[in-house]
Amino acid sequence: MLRRLLGIVPVVFGVLLLTFLLVHLVPGDPVEVMLGESASSADRSALRAELGLDRPIHVQFGAYLGRLAQGDFGHSIHTREPVADMLAERLPATIRLALLSLAIAIAIGLPLGVVAALRANRWPDKLATFSSLALSAMPHFWLGPLLMMVFALWLGWLPVSGMERPASIVLPALTLGFGLSAILTRMTRASLLEVLNEDFVRTARAKGLPERDVILGHALRAGMLPVVTIVGLQLGSLLAGTVITETVFGWDGIGRLLVESIEKRDYPVTQACVLVIALIYVLVNLLTDLTYARLDPRVRYVS
Amino acid sequence: MRHFILLFCLLLAACGKPDTHTDIRMALAQAPINLDPRYATDAASERINHLIYRPLVDFDANSRPQSALATWQQLSPLHYRFTLLAERAPFHDGSTLDAADVEATYSSLLALKDSPHAAEFANIRQVSAPDRNTVDFILHVPDEMFVSRLVIGIMPVEKIASGHDFSRQPVGNGPLGFLSWQGSVRLERVSDRQTYSLQEVRDPTVRVLKLLRGEVDLLQGDLPPELVKYLKQQPGIHLNEVQGSNYSYLGFNLEDAELARPEVRRAIAHAIDRKKILQEVLVGGSRAAAAILPPEHWAGHAALAPYEYDPERARALLQQAGIALPLKLVYKTSTDAQRVRLATVMQAQMREAGIQLEIRSLDWGTFFDDVKHGKFQLYGLTWVGIRTPEIYRLAFHSASVPPAGANRGRYRDALTDELIENSDWQGVSERVHQMLPYVPLWYEGQFVAMRSDLSGYNLKPDGSWDGLATVKKKSKTALKQQP
Repeated sequence: MLRRLLGIVPVVFGVLLLTFLLVHLVPGDPVEVMLGESASSADRSALRAELGLDRPIHVQFGAYLGRLAQGDFGHSIHTREPVADMLAERLPATIRLALLSLAIAIAIGLPLGVVAALRANRWPDKLATFSSLALSAMPHFWLGPLLMMVFALWLGWLPVSGMERPASIVLPALTLGFGLSAILTRMTRASLLEVLNEDFVRTARAKGLPERDVILGHALRAGMLPVVTIVGLQLGSLLAGTVITETVFGWDGIGRLLVESIEKRDYPVTQACVLVIALIYVLVNLLTDLTYARLDPRVRYVS
Repeated sequence: MRHFILLFCLLLAACGKPDTHTDIRMALAQAPINLDPRYATDAASERINHLIYRPLVDFDANSRPQSALATWQQLSPLHYRFTLLAERAPFHDGSTLDAADVEATYSSLLALKDSPHAAEFANIRQVSAPDRNTVDFILHVPDEMFVSRLVIGIMPVEKIASGHDFSRQPVGNGPLGFLSWQGSVRLERVSDRQTYSLQEVRDPTVRVLKLLRGEVDLLQGDLPPELVKYLKQQPGIHLNEVQGSNYSYLGFNLEDAELARPEVRRAIAHAIDRKKILQEVLVGGSRAAAAILPPEHWAGHAALAPYEYDPERARALLQQAGIALPLKLVYKTSTDAQRVRLATVMQAQMREAGIQLEIRSLDWGTFFDDVKHGKFQLYGLTWVGIRTPEIYRLAFHSASVPPAGANRGRYRDALTDELIENSDWQGVSERVHQMLPYVPLWYEGQFVAMRSDLSGYNLKPDGSWDGLATVKKKSKTALKQQP
């Protein structure tokens, strides 16, 4: 376990280094963005020096690490706001949306997958297969406006977009949750079908256990391993921000912040967003691995 | 389970009803970035600042400078005196506006190292306030456009001195006062306390849906023409269109061996069917352009005609120039859907003239960086909010090649330079029209779409949001009493 935790350090350092290099290598100069096209060369040089952009890149990286060690993410080049404040504003919105989306996906995907497996090749299975294929084939930029048309414009039940009201989260969460539920349905079905033919399930039935206990207590638990992997990966990507959904629904999450900062060449914001996203991924992966051990006694982490 | 679904539906129905807002809500394609007039450069910030702050000088319909806060006299080629108008609104924090505020605004701007506007005012040697109503500007060198430059919103001296954060909490003396900025920007009209909420909604389809559902009351510009046409047919929505003045063009790299030849540039100008594009791909109010400044501008040139679409002539010009057809060129543009669509249309039109156009759409930062560094053959952009003929110096003078200016095509022409130095703007327009460092395309029309309970929004050709200062919202009871 300790080794697993220590393994996070080189990953995060690698991410920091790569992001720093990439951000500085892409075309576009923040000084030119800030000063516009009329500024004199002297003014450009002065500002470049003030921002520390005239120093060698390894010196800049060292200074960046030093500031980071003190918890200082720097200031946005464009708005002059502390980057930490910007993250603190955006991250909770992303977490809320990610968790609700995942909850919707699990609420739809798991039961559908179980029903599809138990009624394999019959009409419930075919219906579940068709609906999951249809949902996974719908891109978010199309499904989002479609849900807006139905639930906001025609039925008038929900707001079109924004974050002003509690109900505003429902449509973006449904958009993300539907797509993810399709994957979960397929994965649960396949995994459960495999497990249902295992000896321990046959034994449980032979012992005379009620079918409900056989499925929920034995088969489903064993069949959950691949599903947990998918849930972990998807939660990581949801927490990393879902740019298209956030943009379509005007949801001020971290994904939008990252894309906007890249467009504006706002180096400190981009670096901070990528760092936070990398950390989230690493932590979610760790949690996923720990969940394996809970589900399957054969999986153990040795310190 | 059935009860749960019923409860969920009831809950949705209850919470989904549109709010009964008194705010006038506007959807913006892009949120403002910085509401400090010394830093703001993006269109949204400048448009909001024009409502929150008042500058010394504004412009009339022909873009001539006119008094906003002060009248002026030129006492010598290097000395301008501004006298504040007797009747002027106080700042929104209650303090009175006087010459010390003007002096502090411009002095602080000159002291900033990181302001994009600092270069514009580098010619000011000294700014002083001899009395409460008078401000003197002393220049390093004569500048006949100086008055037109003084469009920075005036800020209170005490707040400047205390380091107040104008970027997030602006204080001006314009028609609209600032209330808050959390997600959306909230403003309040000083005259009647009408409140406004300006929120970013990036997706154009979502902006339209929000307008139709009543989640916003108006939106201005930044919609593809098919959505504008759709809105025109919707009951309960008013759509007003006016001619625009923002100039779209095709820029050439004149350091490219083929594009350096005027006949090739002329051929490209004749290969674009503007009339068709105006009819089919642009919003109403758009018109063909022949020069950067529109004909109604005081320095515009009404006699210049746009290049006619004539693919045969274009082909002949290329053959005359000894170009082997098809002429292969790369056109760079941003990833904006409408820009890519326009590029695709031009690509098809140019094919008729023997020009094979390859389109490369790049993210804005990369695209603009390539343009500034001359890494292009052709590119498409729009000049927004141009007020003075100084744009010719910035875009075409040989001393304005980046990083010294915006002569991105590296156009060098002694006659053009001379005409610019002599401020012969008609002459410059003609020369540029003849030499074609840009192919003038069009001035894109402006439109506003509003819900029917709004009225009194004066739409401006430059796309400003000044109409917010006059727009009225009818109350619900007044609407019910209407037949």
